[in-house]
Amino acid sequence: MADPMHQFQIQKIVELKPVTIPGLGAIDLSITNSVAAMLLAATLVVVFYALAARKAVVPGRLQTVGEMLYGLVDGLAESIIGHEGKKFLPFVFTLFAFVLFMNIQGMFLVFTATSQLAVTLTLGLLVILTVVGVGFAKNGVKFFKLFAPSGVPGWILPLVVLIEIVSFLVRPLTLALRLFGNMVGGHVVLKIFAGFVVALGGLGVLGWAGAALALSSVVALTALEFMVAFLQAFVFAVLTCVYLNDVVHLDSH
Amino acid sequence: MATENHGTVETTEAPGHEGGGGLPQLQFEHWGGQVVWLLLIFAVLYVVLSKGLLPRVSGAIDERGAKIAGDIADARRLKDEAEVQARAAAAEVAEARAKAQKTAADAKAKASAEAAERQAKEEAVLAEKLAAAEASITAARDEAMSHVRAVAEETAGAIVEKLTGKAASAAELKAALA
Repeated sequence: MADPMHQFQIQKIVELKPVTIPGLGAIDLSITNSVAAMLLAATLVVVFYALAARKAVVPGRLQTVGEMLYGLVDGLAESIIGHEGKKFLPFVFTLFAFVLFMNIQGMFLVFTATSQLAVTLTLGLLVILTVVGVGFAKNGVKFFKLFAPSGVPGWILPLVVLIEIVSFLVRPLTLALRLFGNMVGGHVVLKIFAGFVVALGGLGVLGWAGAALALSSVVALTALEFMVAFLQAFVFAVLTCVYLNDVVHLDSH
Repeated sequence: MATENHGTVETTEAPGHEGGGGLPQLQFEHWGGQVVWLLLIFAVLYVVLSKGLLPRVSGAIDERGAKIAGDIADARRLKDEAEVQARAAAAEVAEARAKAQKTAADAKAKASAEAAERQAKEEAVLAEKLAAAEASITAARDEAMSHVRAVAEETAGAIVEKLTGKAASAAELKAALA
């Protein structure tokens, strides 16, 4: 059976000279399959919205889908963050669209960028650093009130603060691992079941029944994975909004 | 789940892995490039979407909303206008009907008044004729009654003359008949 993890192997497509960044050392900026997948996903987002962002009062199919996705994130930001959600809509939408297109792209081609921990962790850190930045810009030093919820008795406060700090620091990790785990898990399972089809198919008549079962599982799992691809992008956007809301409405915390 | 996958990799290890076992995602020599590229791509995508494409999308959505709201407002205005006109028309109809009824009533009253007048005139004429007739009848009767006495006196005189052989005087006859 083919190695189900081989699909996650980074391979260079175009070799580029490493760039040396002071303090970080040399960074290999070669175009790898992961970089190519990200580039493709981002390009698809731009192409999709270049075609979908039309002024037609009666929208076509593409425009309807594009406006539906936009409306989805718009409603999300509005309902979670409130009136100030509009300010963060471009950021949340870029995250959502980028993650969604990377996930979906992985369903069609051999490589999924969001199955790379480097990618999801960077996205998670990007979100949490944005949250911290917005928090400080909006509240100044009062940002630290985030870790001290009001209405907690004094003697238990140190414990609560500790828990709050840990839960805050864990947020980028959970964001990254949730997306990473879902993508890796889905693609590994697909690969294994697809491998069963070939392996069992070579065992004769009895094997064919097993192969058919495995094949139908692959079909069903593929449908499931499409849903997961959308759902994980959605969850990423929801959690980004929730974290942003925490620092935007710190007073009511 | 990650450790499970890990196990799968180790048991089905394919030769020629760069990282030599373990998750390919944990080959840290590939991280730097991915992180830098991701940040670059994300930054470009953010700028393109937030400055170029999303305003167009939201513009189209807002425009559509404004158009729908405007159309609904127009429709409502027209409906109100139509209602006002309908009310005016109904009022006109009611006025015309009232006028017609009044005209009809007037005509009827006039006609009945004329009829009553004519009838009264007729009746007056008839009453006059009746009174004249009654007067002439009374006169005729009085005259007749006045003749009765003369006839009775004559008759009584003739009867007395025949019976007694001598004529009775007029005064005696009058006294006998009174």
